[in-house]
Amino acid sequence: MAVNRRKLGALLCALLITAAVAGAAAASHTGTPGVTSNKIVIGGTFPLTGPASLYKTIPAAEQAYYAYVNAKGGVFHRKIVDNVLDDQYDPSQTVPQTQKLVEQDHVFAVVGSLGTAPILSTWNYLNKLKIPQVLVATGDAFWGNCVHHACQGGTKPWTLGWQPDYPGEAKLYAKYILQKNKNAKIGVIYQNDAYGKNYLAGLKTGLGSSANQIVDAESYNLGDSAQVIAAHVVALRAHGADTFVIFATPTATIQSLVARTLIGWSPLTLVNNVSANRVFELLAAQNGANLDGIISTVYTASSTTQPNLPGMKLATSIIHKYAPSLDQSLAQGDGNIIYGLAVGWTFVDALQHAGKNLTRAGLMQALRNMKETKNPFIYPGMTVETSKKRTFPMEQLKLIKWSGGKTGDWHAFGKIFSGLH
Amino acid sequence: MRYLPALGSLVAVGAVLAALPFLLSAYHVALAAQVGIFFIAVLGLNILTGYTGQISIGHGAFMAIGGYTTAVLSRDHHTNLVLTMIAAFAICLVFGVLVGLPALRLSGVYLALATFALAISVPQLPLKWSKFLGGRDGVQTATTPSHVWLYAAAWTASAILFVLAWLILRGRVGRAFRAVRDSEIAAVASGVELPLYKTLAFGISAAYAGIAGSLFVLATNGFAAPDEFGVVLSLELLIGAAVAGLGSLWGILAGAAFIGLLPTVSSSVPVIGSAHGQDVVFGAAVVLVMLLIPDGFAGLVARVRRLAGA
Repeated sequence: MAVNRRKLGALLCALLITAAVAGAAAASHTGTPGVTSNKIVIGGTFPLTGPASLYKTIPAAEQAYYAYVNAKGGVFHRKIVDNVLDDQYDPSQTVPQTQKLVEQDHVFAVVGSLGTAPILSTWNYLNKLKIPQVLVATGDAFWGNCVHHACQGGTKPWTLGWQPDYPGEAKLYAKYILQKNKNAKIGVIYQNDAYGKNYLAGLKTGLGSSANQIVDAESYNLGDSAQVIAAHVVALRAHGADTFVIFATPTATIQSLVARTLIGWSPLTLVNNVSANRVFELLAAQNGANLDGIISTVYTASSTTQPNLPGMKLATSIIHKYAPSLDQSLAQGDGNIIYGLAVGWTFVDALQHAGKNLTRAGLMQALRNMKETKNPFIYPGMTVETSKKRTFPMEQLKLIKWSGGKTGDWHAFGKIFSGLH
Repeated sequence: MRYLPALGSLVAVGAVLAALPFLLSAYHVALAAQVGIFFIAVLGLNILTGYTGQISIGHGAFMAIGGYTTAVLSRDHHTNLVLTMIAAFAICLVFGVLVGLPALRLSGVYLALATFALAISVPQLPLKWSKFLGGRDGVQTATTPSHVWLYAAAWTASAILFVLAWLILRGRVGRAFRAVRDSEIAAVASGVELPLYKTLAFGISAAYAGIAGSLFVLATNGFAAPDEFGVVLSLELLIGAAVAGLGSLWGILAGAAFIGLLPTVSSSVPVIGSAHGQDVVFGAAVVLVMLLIPDGFAGLVARVRRLAGA
């Protein structure tokens, strides 16, 4: 009896020692972690599976862009290796996966990771270690506001966003609503978290003295059923709203739009940019929503309405060559693919500006002093810009309106709005 | 003399665990801490499911309560983290007993469903009281421990709780638990107070889950959010207990390693791997374990021993 216990114990010891030796061998590095003469290793966490997995085209597009750059010789003859890990949008998985990237894969930087809670769960850790956590895929105002001001125990100079921040976007909607109808009675449905509240606060700021024209603001929780969402929409109509604002994530947006049509309500309707992806609207239309006249915003170019832009031709060829499984989504107008390519472009651009002797501080220096006018994937005429004072890289948006019914599309109108934040 | 072999393996495991932080890279120490956290949770669930035969698919809820206790105490009062763990233990003990009360009337699949409701509803509470519990944006502790601190805390707590479980289970209480499992009628006939022992088992088990939850949040850089305590976590714990089998140190270690390491390891499995979902790997592994070693790892150890003895 005792012999077997001892054997098991010995086996366990042997296994552990093997693991330890293997771990020690992998840990021997010199210079900037993740950077060698022919390689730059980066990584990021994304919901590849689970309820938020519809975002998984973003990392796929980023990897496709890096493959395209690598095929052209890389950046200073270094090829970009992007380790994409699945966190299912769950912070308790984001943390070990991010630790894996940093302590096991020894990445140079964490690039593009998605989701507000996942970023909040790892930003203390990465900032303490002075590892860049950049171009994160969330528009919360934290990433711009906490560069110089302490948040959750310190400033966060190593964390950087990319897309327009949510409050800034909401301010633009306020402007548009008042311009359309000075006496608008506004009903809002928003997600019950920082994401939704950020938007609502921005809308109120934008409305200024007219903020009392919000006749009702209904909150829902992520994962609520279609019936719950519909009940909120009915309540907004009952409060006498003639303007309907949706600050939601894609599923709830689709449900809201469907409910709006089902109850025969046709107010001026605005949806936030996150949900203004043509593939989501097509889904809503399939489920009976009448979409014509809905308003939203855009900051990336469109593969469906602007197919002749050089950037969109490039996008089609990159995706076809390096991620052919995304061909169909791109043809349908999945804006997340364009988003991924655009973020990849910004990162490569920053690597080029950071120079041959690549360091983490050098990368941050480059990212904090950007002036990108040539990013082919963002809306023509917009720039990605940062400086010591400007901590939000993208501060421009263009209004779009849906037309063409069930097989329609978003069409841009008006001028580009700048200085949102 | 009777306890000598058991003591031997305990000392061996203890020695290996004490040496690990000096041998492993920081990342592997964090993983080993994760295993320690699940060791505590599986150990607690084992007391409930293995010894008294009450099934719980809701232990993730107790982990959530323990985790939020630590996060809120640290955020609002800068409480010492070890003290928050003890608070989590106490609060979950009370909650566990309260949940154990309806369990007196429910058994088998009905009890499982009632605990399942717990697993679904508790993570909604932070959304309801979002000012106090942070809503979906979570609660951040004032301090975040290092990997080594976490490792030491997880395995010290594991050791203490393992000995505590052993002390509880080896005597009168353990016998009463087993009697309840094998036949409630026979147990009552022999003078076992059913309500007392059933709720006690729930309380102890929940308190263990509370400590595990507290450490679980600390392992997430001190960040507690509702998404971390989904239904899947409760199911994982039950799977861990099934892999562990009944009442063996090695079994619980195996069960804890199974659920603690598989999500990270499975993302590097070729072909299936990250892109197609850790859940697939997890599910396949569960099916294999249930087919090949239905009594769990403890059953496997016993079988190997019988073979060697024969």
